[in-house]
Order: sequence, then C-alpha cells, then structure tokens
Amino acid sequence: MKPLILQGHERSITQIKYNREGDLLFSASKDNKPNVWYSLNGERLGSFNGHQGAIWCIDVDWTTTKCMTGAGDNTCKIWDCETGKETGNIPTASSVRTCMFSYSANMAVYTTDKAMKQPCEIFIIDVRTIDDSFSRQEPILRIPISGSRVSSILWDNLDESLITGHENGEIIQWDLKTGKKINSIKEHDQLINDMQWNKDCTMFITASKDHTAKLFDAETLMLLKTYKTERPVNSAAISPIAEHVVLGGGQEAMEVTTTSSRAGKFDSRFFHLVFEEEFARVKGHFGPINSVCFHPDGKSYASGGEDGFVRVHSFDSSYFEYNFDY
Amino acid sequence: MASSNKVIKSSWAEEVESESALTPVSSEVFENNVKIVTEFKVLDNSKKVKIVRTYKIEKRIVPKSIALRKTWNKFGDSANDKSGPNPATTFIGEDVYMQFISSKEEDKKIDDGLDKLKALGNKNVVKCRSCGGDHWTSKCMFKDTFLTNANSNETKPTAAETKKSESLKYVPPSLRQGNTKRSDNTNRRDDNYPAIRISNLSESTTEEDLAELVKPFGFIHKLFLAKDKQTGLCKGFAYIHFKYKRDAAQVIARLDGHGYDHLILSVDWSRPQE
Repeated sequence: MKPLILQGHERSITQIKYNREGDLLFSASKDNKPNVWYSLNGERLGSFNGHQGAIWCIDVDWTTTKCMTGAGDNTCKIWDCETGKETGNIPTASSVRTCMFSYSANMAVYTTDKAMKQPCEIFIIDVRTIDDSFSRQEPILRIPISGSRVSSILWDNLDESLITGHENGEIIQWDLKTGKKINSIKEHDQLINDMQWNKDCTMFITASKDHTAKLFDAETLMLLKTYKTERPVNSAAISPIAEHVVLGGGQEAMEVTTTSSRAGKFDSRFFHLVFEEEFARVKGHFGPINSVCFHPDGKSYASGGEDGFVRVHSFDSSYFEYNFDY
Repeated sequence: MASSNKVIKSSWAEEVESESALTPVSSEVFENNVKIVTEFKVLDNSKKVKIVRTYKIEKRIVPKSIALRKTWNKFGDSANDKSGPNPATTFIGEDVYMQFISSKEEDKKIDDGLDKLKALGNKNVVKCRSCGGDHWTSKCMFKDTFLTNANSNETKPTAAETKKSESLKYVPPSLRQGNTKRSDNTNRRDDNYPAIRISNLSESTTEEDLAELVKPFGFIHKLFLAKDKQTGLCKGFAYIHFKYKRDAAQVIARLDGHGYDHLILSVDWSRPQE
C-alpha cells in the first residue's frame, strides 16, 4: 500500500481523529495550528489558526460542525469546522491536556494539568450555544483531582458518566450527576497515554507507557485483554470491522537519538483482539507513533508520529484476506 | 472541480524580468478522468525544471453530509490552495507492506540476539592489557602495582619476565619466532633445488598453462604461481623449482624474452629473500 503522507505540521503530532463519517481527519501537533484533511485524497481543508501553544488534544462533534482543541497556552477553543473560525475560547488556569465532546455534543469535557500551583481539574461545559458569553460561562461541573493527573478521557454510557485515565495508571469512572467516583481500577503501572472506544462503545482500549495496551469492559471496568510490547505504547485503536487492534508507540522521544530506527520499533503493530497475538506490522515513521486511529469504515487507518507526519494507510487486499491461524 | 486562472497585474519591471526568464506558465489539462498538472520551476542554480503531476479523478457516491463538506472552502493556511491536494502538504509515500508475522519465534530470535549482546556487556569487548580483566587498562585495579613492577624490572629483566612480556605484546605474524623458524626451514629445503622466477605473466595464466610451458625442460620439483587472494587471478609472476640446475639454466636461456600470451616473459634466477 502507498500511504498518503500529510505534512502540515512543523512539530510532533499529538493526536489525530477522524470525524464520525470518516471523510475528514483532524490532526493536532505541538506547533500551534491544528489541521483538518480530507481523508480520501489527503487534501488539506484548512488549519485552525489562533492558538499560541502546543495543542495537546483535538476532538470533533458527531455532526462535524464544531471542533475543539486544548492547548498549552492555557486555552480550550471551539472552532467552526466549515470556516475554520474560532467561535469559543475558554481561558484556563493551566494547560489543557484532554478534551472531548459528549456523544450528543451538548456537552464537552476538558481537563487541565496539575501545574503552576493549580490542581488537575475536570470541567464539564455546555456547548449547545456558542456566542460571546461562552467564555464567561460557568462550567456545569468541576471535579478537582487530588491525586495523579488525568492523561486521557472518554465519555461513557451515553453522556451519563466519564472514564479518566491517569498518570499513575489508574482508571476512574465518574458519575456526572453527583460528580463522584463510581469505580476505579489500577491495572497499569504507568501513564495512560490514550484511550479509545470500540465501535459500539462497549469496550475501550488503553495505551500505556508501561509497554502494554489493555482492553476493558466499559460498564464494569473489567480487564479483558492485554497486548504486550517491548516499548511504551502511545496509542491504541480497535478496528470497527475486524477483531484487530493497532498499537502505535516506540521508545520515548528523548531516547530516540541514541538508537537506530530499526531498534526503535516505530512500527504500527496489529494484534488480534481476542488472542492478544501480534500478526502484522507496518513500518514508515521515523520516530515514535503518538496517535493511531482507524477509519470508521475499517478499510484504512492513520498514524501520527513524533516525526511530524501523518500517514494515512489504505489496507491492501492482503489485509482483508488474512486469516488468523488458531 | 473548479479551476480559476488569475491574471496577476504587476509592475512593468517585474514583467520584463519574467519575460527574460521565459518560464512557461503552468497548465492544467483534464482528460477523461485524469488531471495533468504541468509546472515549471527555476531552481537556485538557474536550472529550469518541468514538473508533471497526474491525478486520477474518481467519482464517488457519498452521503449528503460528506458531499456538502467537500464543497467547503479552504481556510487557514490552506486558504489559497487550489482544489485538489497541494503537493506542499500532501504527497504519496513509498510503498510499504504489511509484514505478517506467522509465529512469535521470529520476533524472539531478534530479541535474543540483542539480549545476548547486552549480556556480553563489557566482557569480550573490553580487555585490560595489564591483567586481562573485563575493564579498560586505565581503570585496572592493579595499575599502580604493575607500573611499579615494570619500573623495577626495567633495570634487571629476568629471562622469564621478558618471555612473559613478549607473549603479552602484539607481534606481527611475520616477526613471530615460530614463523621465522618455519620460513628458514622451508627456505633451506627449497634452496637445495635451483629456483627460477618468471615474471610478466598475463593475468589469465593458470598453473596448468605454466606447467605446460616449463615441463619440456626437465623435472619440476615445485611450481608456485602467485595469485590474487580475492579474484584468484595470476599476479604476474611465478617461482619454479627444478630438480637439476642444468634444466633451470636452459629455461632461463630459452624463455627469457619469450613472447607468451601477448606479453614478453622475463625469466631469471630467483633471488633468496633477505
């Protein structure tokens, strides 16, 4: 397969996401301009200009009208997808690490870092109307986190609860009505870099610095499967059509210069969802992969790396013909 | 797909300059579902380059929402881009293949190799010259003691000590004791037989050719053709030991200056090595 290489960023990619239909691909990087691309031909639709710091997270609502970004310049911004104009701006006390629209996109969540004497905090906001008063609007709910900071987040159970992944490897489920913990588990030993749903939101996969990716049941937070690698896992995604997961990772960016790219294992690695066994790899990036995601139709996937490139791979027939031997 | 040709008005000075450069205008041609974009560029070293890009235009039936999004105007940094991918931000990568892994063993093997190297660590890589341990000579624990020993030995080296130091020092193979002895032996043995040297042989000469050449003169004790180690081709000279000096002398008389394989041979007595 010949990947499409999207070269719109000057620094490493932090997160990439497809919209619901999969025709657009949103990419955020440590430079201050998130981009949006047509996934089919790699044409850039535009860039959202306005941030002044590294973009840590990006999300798009299900109708692809609003886009949300959180950045290191202590703001969380809402953008209009069609025009690329900034419509909402929320100043925060510290940098915004994660953000996500709820399933209905009536609400959104963002979390701030524990930095500059500010605690890590989860904010739930109403995003139904975005006008001039938006930036002064009080959040619906604030949950201060006393322990380890939130490093990844997911909306759960049709916007009734939240799942957060933390720096110490903990996963906590929050009830939104009360703002209390429902459940918490600690299956990972280190930072959880990424969490992604499967297609029907019954399971989610975590990617952790402790060299594993794990599959959990969304309701009970029961550990279902573990995918082991030799390097930190930065991102993991579940195929919407096959029982496959893809892991992206590699050694930490700061150690990259001391080893060759062969030893670095910068491949996207495909594991069988059930048997936890690796069955394929795709090479290409020059640095660790920071974010992977499947196209909603499952026929292609994209990966964004520390090297600043986003690569969109359309699977060959060999991928679809491949049968796992068991 | 809409394409617009903008006419940019500029000052006459610029126009003159562009005319002198004579860069043809880039063009877009649509031909049965193929778009061909031709561009001309002048490089820094004033070389003109023609770039032809071919795009296949596909028509797809998509949901209305996607079709609508396709008509959106570009914004931000892409606001000035034409429709279709901009080569500055989008390009097709090299072909990559999905490597299917049939068994886990393969993977393990690689790791084992790495682990082995790691396990070896300093063991075989670093060797102390003074005590032979797994560390650098400069970091040897016995460094000080050895140095003092050496100083005292310098004044009065015993036979055993010198032997030891010799065995520790690197000696080129040619200078090693055993080697000189051996070569002496061989020399002495071969000196019993008269040897001649044939030089200016062609590259393609083989031992069989040489034997054919000199056999008629008399009984050959030993024949040596110098060959290149890598290619196995003749290096251009050979030594031949005859049983009788008379035969050897005859060869020198007959073959010196003899034309062989487009070259003129030079044959003389082989001089003993110094």
